[in-house]
Amino acid sequence: MASTKEIKRTAEETSQLSWYQRLFVPEVIRGLAVTTRHFLRNLFGGRDPSPDFAYRKGSLGNQVATLQYPEERAPYPVGYRGTHRLVPREDGKPRCVACYMCATVCPAQCIYIEAGEYEDDPIEKYPTVFVIDQLRCVVCGLCVEACPKDAIRMDTYQHTPPEYTREGFIYPIERLLKGPPVSYPSDPWLRRKDSAQPQDQHFPLHGVAAHSTEPVEPREPYPAGRNHPAPPVFTEEEVRKASGS
Amino acid sequence: MRAAFISALIVGLCVLVGAVLALFYIAAGALGVVTGALFGKPYIGVAVANTITLLLVMVMVIASLLTLAERKWSALMQDRIGPNRARLGLPGLRDKALLGIPHFLADGIKMLTKEDFVPAHASGFLYTLAPMLAFGTAFVLFAVVPVAPVVSASEIPLVGGLAASMGVDPFPVSLQVAPGYDPGVLFIFAFSGVAVFGTALAGWASNNRLALLGGLRGSSQMVAYEIALGMSLVGLMMIFQTLQLEVMTDGQNQGLFGGILPAWGIFLQPIGFLLYFTASFAELKRPPFDAPEGESEIVGYFVEYSGMRFGLFMISEFIGTVVLAGVVSALFLGGYHLPFPPAWGVEEWLRSSVGEFGLAVVLGTNFVLKVIVLCWLQLAIRWTMPRFRFDKIQSLGWKILLPVALANIAVTGVLLLADPSLELLAIVGLAEILFIVGLTALYPKKQPASLVLAGRMMAGGTGH
Repeated sequence: MASTKEIKRTAEETSQLSWYQRLFVPEVIRGLAVTTRHFLRNLFGGRDPSPDFAYRKGSLGNQVATLQYPEERAPYPVGYRGTHRLVPREDGKPRCVACYMCATVCPAQCIYIEAGEYEDDPIEKYPTVFVIDQLRCVVCGLCVEACPKDAIRMDTYQHTPPEYTREGFIYPIERLLKGPPVSYPSDPWLRRKDSAQPQDQHFPLHGVAAHSTEPVEPREPYPAGRNHPAPPVFTEEEVRKASGS
Repeated sequence: MRAAFISALIVGLCVLVGAVLALFYIAAGALGVVTGALFGKPYIGVAVANTITLLLVMVMVIASLLTLAERKWSALMQDRIGPNRARLGLPGLRDKALLGIPHFLADGIKMLTKEDFVPAHASGFLYTLAPMLAFGTAFVLFAVVPVAPVVSASEIPLVGGLAASMGVDPFPVSLQVAPGYDPGVLFIFAFSGVAVFGTALAGWASNNRLALLGGLRGSSQMVAYEIALGMSLVGLMMIFQTLQLEVMTDGQNQGLFGGILPAWGIFLQPIGFLLYFTASFAELKRPPFDAPEGESEIVGYFVEYSGMRFGLFMISEFIGTVVLAGVVSALFLGGYHLPFPPAWGVEEWLRSSVGEFGLAVVLGTNFVLKVIVLCWLQLAIRWTMPRFRFDKIQSLGWKILLPVALANIAVTGVLLLADPSLELLAIVGLAEILFIVGLTALYPKKQPASLVLAGRMMAGGTGH
């Protein structure tokens, strides 16, 4: 490391211009040459709209690096944690068995689950309510790791889209259940005799595809109902009683 | 693909400029015929038509397009695209960026419809006067700039027949607002000297300390460069022995060394060119001399102005750019004359093939193209260089430009006395240009000591 004294001395020397720089006019002309080169290349050259803009190859040396955002989007890297999805089975029902592990592990406590049972099956549970509050979510991915059934994934490669209301960020099961279905040979609903989905002998790992990049269907407007109860209205008396005054 | 499109666009622009200039000639001639028939003085009509067509149409259109070009061109210089999001809500144009032109229309609408705010303690009359002074003085300078040569009215299509039918004798028509105006160059000095009042008054009258600082900086800077500005053109005045820009322009069409070199001002006075260009740049308060504005330190002398009042300050900067380009082109780059050695006889050939009027239109187009290229050069300089520190601006004006201008006058005088045929002057001028070009080309391969030291400091190589 240079001592303070040395740094000070060097700074003084660097602030001095060389005789060539002091002439000024040649340096201005050289600077203009750089500017002009960029101008001509970008004026006459065609822009490469590839979103991989670090390796763009525009014609005639065009070097424009702009990504016209809404029309051109840089792809998210492999492994990007996007918004969650509940993975469906082949029959469209969620793989989720409402074990509450994701809700338990979630550090932001943004998952809320209510479990129900299939009437015709005494063993399995399923989520009657599965809500993720995207405003609370810290996108840590622990829910995906905690899930024993590979029922929640973050492979949508989409960030949370904007909404006009806070309520819009609370995703009900209707918004979460999407994407390509996934099934494993060990899935109990495939091994059961009366299952509508026979086990696939030829492709036992059918559906364990890498990453889904399917576009998300436009979501339907959801009514205020089970997942979105109307906020309770308290009377003045109730408030006073609750606050103990 | 894009190269072809851009080239076609440039060619189309040239054709458009030519057509517009032909229309300007016809308008000037027609109005001249009318006033000639009414009052017997055709030059009144020509001057009025030229005021409208050249000042209000040509200069204003180029200046307002420059506000867009500044953003678009700077984007290209910095590997960006530039503004392209404003759209015209018309059927068929909804999805077209149209080269960003809607942006400049939107800017105009914004300026005109914004609240015209006057600070509570501003001095009302001076506050209103300042933008007018800034705008008017920049605008009026173009009156002496010759855009296209003199043509007899009988040569202009439509006008010739009109003049004959109304019994008006043929009269000279040229695209210049004030042809034959004796003060010429002095007029430019005078009005660019008045421009400082706009800046100083704006800073003083808006009752804002930042604006006052900007006004002070502006006035001291403009006074500092005023002298170098005047001195830089004395050489040209001595060479062409006139102050009128159109006479200087025609004087540059003579050939040197047997006609292989046009006697352009830049060949005879390269130092004068550099001085004039630099000093005018500083007079315009454009970057790198934009300390009066200095938006990162003090917001500038127009900080309290809003709406179209601010717009007048801004557009006067761009009008100044156009005027500077016009004056430099007329004084140093041969004006409307074609950039060919006079010995080739290109202009005579054009005169014989397309006629006097066609030649005049071609020459006018040539002038406008030179103006546009020089405007581009000014914007390129603006986007190449960072802002000068204020003391550096002062020392550049007083300690470098002024002595060099005086020396230039002395050397030019001696050379003119030694050889009145200008050839010695041209030899010295070419040697100066060669010296500068050579110095630029022979960039020292060995890095300057400062860079080497800086690199060593970065690497932590000193010590131990």
